[in-house]
Amino acid sequence: MTEVIRCNGLTRTYQDDGVPVHALAGVDFRVEAGEFVSLAGPSGSGKSTLLNCIGGLDRPSTGEVYVDGVSLGALSQSALADLRLIKVGFVFQSYNLIPVLSALENVEFIMQLQGVAAAERKERAHAMLDSLAIGEMWDRRPGELSGGQQQRVAIARAIVSKPVLLLADEPSANLDSKTTADLMELLLRINREQSMTIITATHDPAVMAYASRQVHLVDGMIESDQCADNAAS
Amino acid sequence: MKIPLRTLLQLSWRNIWRHRRRNIMLFSAILVAVSTVVLANSLIRGWQVQMLDTVVTSLNGHVKVLAPGYLDDPSIERAFQLPGGYKPALAPGQLRAWTSRVVVPGVILSERDTRGVQLVGVDPADELQMSFLADAQIEGEFLASADDRRVLLGAALAERLNTGVGRRIVLMTQGSDGRNRESGFRVAGVYRAATGGLEKVFVFTGRAALQQMLDTQAITELSLRLHSNGDRAQARQQLQQGFSGEEVSTWDELQPQAASMFEFADVAIVIWFSIMMTALAFGLINTLITAVMERVRELGMLRAIGMQPGLVILQVVIESLMIVILGVALGISLGVFFVQQLADGIDLSQWAAGIEGYYMSTLLIPSLLLSDLLLVAALSLLFGLLASVWPAWRAVQVQPLEAMRR
Repeated sequence: MTEVIRCNGLTRTYQDDGVPVHALAGVDFRVEAGEFVSLAGPSGSGKSTLLNCIGGLDRPSTGEVYVDGVSLGALSQSALADLRLIKVGFVFQSYNLIPVLSALENVEFIMQLQGVAAAERKERAHAMLDSLAIGEMWDRRPGELSGGQQQRVAIARAIVSKPVLLLADEPSANLDSKTTADLMELLLRINREQSMTIITATHDPAVMAYASRQVHLVDGMIESDQCADNAAS
Repeated sequence: MKIPLRTLLQLSWRNIWRHRRRNIMLFSAILVAVSTVVLANSLIRGWQVQMLDTVVTSLNGHVKVLAPGYLDDPSIERAFQLPGGYKPALAPGQLRAWTSRVVVPGVILSERDTRGVQLVGVDPADELQMSFLADAQIEGEFLASADDRRVLLGAALAERLNTGVGRRIVLMTQGSDGRNRESGFRVAGVYRAATGGLEKVFVFTGRAALQQMLDTQAITELSLRLHSNGDRAQARQQLQQGFSGEEVSTWDELQPQAASMFEFADVAIVIWFSIMMTALAFGLINTLITAVMERVRELGMLRAIGMQPGLVILQVVIESLMIVILGVALGISLGVFFVQQLADGIDLSQWAAGIEGYYMSTLLIPSLLLSDLLLVAALSLLFGLLASVWPAWRAVQVQPLEAMRR
């Protein structure tokens, strides 16, 4: 299988009031294309830091991250932005949609930055919203949508341009259990139907259960890395 | 990097309406500042136009030819003759009017008083194109021709001499032979000028009449009025070629104090504009920093999903410039409206004595120059641009991850 992520000897040390905090303390980690990986662990275990290093939002103190064969350490801020635009889709805990744009325009936004033609953009954005069962909400702004609907729009935005990797940081943190289940079913469907590689960072067991591989972090190190044959659904 | 300009414009426009109240305040500040600058500029420019008009029509003209030494010793001995049928040869379209005069110091006597004055022999028809007499109120009659042996007095002088229209006065001066001449003249009319100083100094009579009294065919000055003040240096140069033995001077050389004030008006416009725009720029930067820092999380998110830092800056700048452009456009319109409301002028007659020294008349009429409006528009946009780039640049200095945690 094709390797999408490779992390070699990752460490990340923050200074907190002059006290060094080792968020990552030597992580070696690989993800193959099409995997659905859950990074789990208690607060402060380093799962979000690892996710951010993979997505090029944070730089490791030492070690190297490769995404789709590209070493992130050598990339400028501008090149990292391009990498995030083309190869990585992000789903954030607090949705982070653009408040002045409608659901459709939010989904179109990434494609606008990529220079996709208007007609194609609209068609793909409508199709994506339809496939996530929020097609009727296309003209509503984020403030007019529920948390679950906003997260669906965020997912639509993240995957509409077919990135090689979808990163979701605590995607269910602001959702109730029913909406969380719907959301995870959706991510699972995307993973299976589009063979999209998905990595989530979560401490919610209900979310972990959907992943085919569960990586448990404690104190910035991988404690366990297991394939779960009994992934939900 | 391809710039999705339409996307940025759309985002910017909607963001403006999202923070309606703050942006209306920002817009209002620009509106007030720009309209005030336009109005102030037009008043200063109006003063400058008036100053130039006053100096040029106070018998200076834009360019004047005098005999050498006349300025130090203005007597009929320092005179020159014009060739027969002379006409100034300037570039086409430059010359508005011209005349020759005899101007000598003299004394005027009435039954009541005696005053020292400037006796001015003129061609009345030319003078109506050249000097303040064209706009002066005349009681009685204007001079009929260059041969007219009557005089035209200023109202202030007539009052001092306790004389008036139809009365006789006596003029005394030195003739071309160096001997004193004395002759009686009847008062044809009394003029009222915009400034009282002129009324006390100049006594007009026909040029030929004064030449006869002085026993000369010569003139003491050739004065030219141009269509454009900017042509005066070139006109001076061309005149100098025809009058190599005389002194050719522009009005600013003849009236250096007025010239300094004229230049100061240009500087005053820049100073006033700079003060207003600097104050506005600080307000803009302050408001825009607040506006941008409130949205630092959102801007961080845009970068996190792949928007280039340069595009984020551009988006913020476009947003700011939209407000600035609208404010400047309406500010200029409002300023022009104010100026139009003052088109009949501002009456300054109660300060008449004080403003005379500034070459102002008692009616200040604002003057709008397209170049001034363009300068205001261009500099306002430049200030707006600089004031918006700084907060935007600051916003993208925050790393996306850190921004999204705020």
